[in-house]
Amino acid sequence: MRAPEEAMKPVLAVERLSVSFGTPHGETKVLRDVEFTLAPNEILGIVGETGAGKSVLARAIIDLLPKGGRMTSGEVRVNGKPVGKMTEAERRAMRGGQIALIGTNAKALLDPVETVGNQIVRVLQSHSRLNRKAAWTKAVQLLADVGIVNPEQRARAYPHELSGGMAQRVVIAMALVTEPKILLADDATLGLDATVSVQVLDMLVQRSRELGLSVVLITHDLGIIAHYCNRVAVMREGRVVELREVSEFLKQPEAVYSRELLAAAKVRPIPTLRSIGGSEMALLEVSNLVKIFPGNRPGQVVRAVDHVSFTIKRGETLALVGESGSGKTTVGQCLVRLIEASSGSIRFDGNDLLTTAQARFRPLRRRIQMVFQEPYVALNPRWRVRHLVDEPLRMLEKMSADERLKRVHQVLDLVNMPAHYAERFPHELTAGEQKRVGMARALVTEPDFVIFDEPTTALDIRVRGQIIDLVRDLQTRMKLSALFITHDLNSVRSLAHDVAVMNRGRIVEAGSMETVFSDPKDPYTAKLLSAELAIEHETEARVARRPKSAEERVG
Amino acid sequence: MTSFGFALRRPAAIIGLSLLFLQIVLIIFAPAVSPYSPTEADPLASLLPPSSTHWLGTDISGMDILSRIIFATRINLLISITSVALAFVIGVPLGLLVGYYRGFLSGLIMRIFDFVQAFPIFVLGMALVSVMGQEIWNVATVLAVLFIPIFARLIRAEVLSLRERPFVAAARCSGATDVDIMFRHLLPNALMPAMVQVSISIGMAILLTAGLSFIGAGVRMPTPEWGLMVSSGAQQMILGVWWVSLFPGLAIVLAVLCFALLGDVVRDLMDPMKAQQFARDPEIDLQPIGDNR
Repeated sequence: MRAPEEAMKPVLAVERLSVSFGTPHGETKVLRDVEFTLAPNEILGIVGETGAGKSVLARAIIDLLPKGGRMTSGEVRVNGKPVGKMTEAERRAMRGGQIALIGTNAKALLDPVETVGNQIVRVLQSHSRLNRKAAWTKAVQLLADVGIVNPEQRARAYPHELSGGMAQRVVIAMALVTEPKILLADDATLGLDATVSVQVLDMLVQRSRELGLSVVLITHDLGIIAHYCNRVAVMREGRVVELREVSEFLKQPEAVYSRELLAAAKVRPIPTLRSIGGSEMALLEVSNLVKIFPGNRPGQVVRAVDHVSFTIKRGETLALVGESGSGKTTVGQCLVRLIEASSGSIRFDGNDLLTTAQARFRPLRRRIQMVFQEPYVALNPRWRVRHLVDEPLRMLEKMSADERLKRVHQVLDLVNMPAHYAERFPHELTAGEQKRVGMARALVTEPDFVIFDEPTTALDIRVRGQIIDLVRDLQTRMKLSALFITHDLNSVRSLAHDVAVMNRGRIVEAGSMETVFSDPKDPYTAKLLSAELAIEHETEARVARRPKSAEERVG
Repeated sequence: MTSFGFALRRPAAIIGLSLLFLQIVLIIFAPAVSPYSPTEADPLASLLPPSSTHWLGTDISGMDILSRIIFATRINLLISITSVALAFVIGVPLGLLVGYYRGFLSGLIMRIFDFVQAFPIFVLGMALVSVMGQEIWNVATVLAVLFIPIFARLIRAEVLSLRERPFVAAARCSGATDVDIMFRHLLPNALMPAMVQVSISIGMAILLTAGLSFIGAGVRMPTPEWGLMVSSGAQQMILGVWWVSLFPGLAIVLAVLCFALLGDVVRDLMDPMKAQQFARDPEIDLQPIGDNR
């Protein structure tokens, strides 16, 4: 039995840590006096936006700063021992041995030409004197422990044969090989589908509890903080601006910045536009839309979109939700005829879009526009913003150059971009600004109907909030009808009147947003909703926040 | 600091540009800087070694080697630049079309390129020049035929990947037609490797021109041309008369080197993002660990 005070001694202590990066023009401070401790069995969340220094912090802890980085002051203690005073051999043993780091994009971390089982065996054998057979058995056991079904079979798989979620589980299994005491998870579930992400996080936290690990969860998702962490450190520009218990933080954040973050992540009331559109006039009517792609093998077909039907009335917004591979983006591409549907009909304000020849469809384009998913790659890198926003006008409207320029400036103003941004190139903009340019392009012809493909993905908390507010504003001001294609249920709550849930090419459930979200009928919808990490209602944590204390276990 | 300034500060760029400048000066002022006529034979001064009167010596006909090297710059660069320009003007649009419209015709054109490129260059050169005659324009045409597939392939490869990029789909949604997409969106983005190739190809063309002349499929005596000069000295080389071949050979080396180095300069200047990076402070850009996007 350990004494209670020893049990409470922090396993990791970061004391007034500052890190600078040398540039030709002097030093840039990336971390400034960061200070926190990690108690045994604690899960500490570190949240912040891009550039807050979260990743640098993780690397500074294991003393693997990227080139040019230098610790200018402070100390990191692992189990009370300062990392700065360790010998190189001790540091190597500490990395992986006591502290394991789990990164983003697991597939890139795995060796593509070796089965995952062999990769784990290699790690096992480098840390202990197991023979191959014993190591293989252990590897399979580790895979089973991280919740991989058919571990025996999966161990023989190559990384490309695994899904993103499974690859992340494999990486976690590898990190746990050496039985570390501390786990650093740096945006470990970034880019995974929500349902997969919560499964992986559930498993990660569960395993940490069972093994008595302390975890530092680095993320930019407040939902993850709210549902998995004991304490939270909010980082901004290299500083920890707030460090508190999660429940207190959610109720009453202290720092101004924390309040901004929480406000940005909260759901807004849906714009009430129902009455404006008037009676039963359907603007867009999709019925029995089918898109078949040829499969990998000859003769094989993939039904990406399978008899999808929905209608959108004037001034209304429908959200098409589903996970990656559900076919929701394909529906959007069929609507703007980037790909040709296999069968079905799409009627837009009386015109049948699928039977219209491409040449006759062109004039309709100014009324149906699309905002593309990835903001950067959807903009021609060699064009200036002015030129990019002008393109739809030049192509689709008969206007003089002066009129067009005037309209370009109007629409940039509409999406809250300063006029001087017109002269910039896409790579000179932030992700949020690129998204705005994409929206300006879609709005410049004053369309009746806009398709937003994943408008909130991969954006920082506050930028995401701004984009949601902007779209809401446009819905009201321009009386826009819109189709939202997204997997971000939280944004749907703020933006859509109706919801259609897609799974494997089919719409499994549709109805008004309130009905579907409060009373899901289809099991798939229920599964999606259960994976939503909302920060509003002070939910019980998904996994017990505290491990059972010693007394409870005895009693 | 501008990107242009940065690109120019590199030693390779300085050497390349100096050599280019030297060649331009020699082309313009050839009659003024060369001490003798490049084509006037002097039987009494045959095969003189380098001296104060003939700095680089004389060849078997008694023609001054330095003067011939200077005048040959005109012929060699004229042939090389003409052939590459011709190949660029034909190859780039061809590559764009073949990459954008993929069908039977595109496949056929690609197979023709395979055929041209699989054919031994010198056999092809000899065949064409012997049919069309030993004129400098014919040499340029032969080289252009050889270079068209290189440019077309480069552009095609770029277009094949670019046409799948979302900004092309976005342009189509904005009402852009095929022609708009090809010439306004794809071409400017696909051009960079071809621009770099221009410089490299000029170097190659200089080498090939010399090669064709050496085997007798290029221009004829007494036209001053580097390859021809190397070849005319080849027989005397074993007799210890090294200067007739060596100096024109060196001229070829320097000219090829010049355009190879300039290729790198072009690459740095053409890339807007790279140029920006040079001009701006290098920012600390930390991706989350393992994120390789």
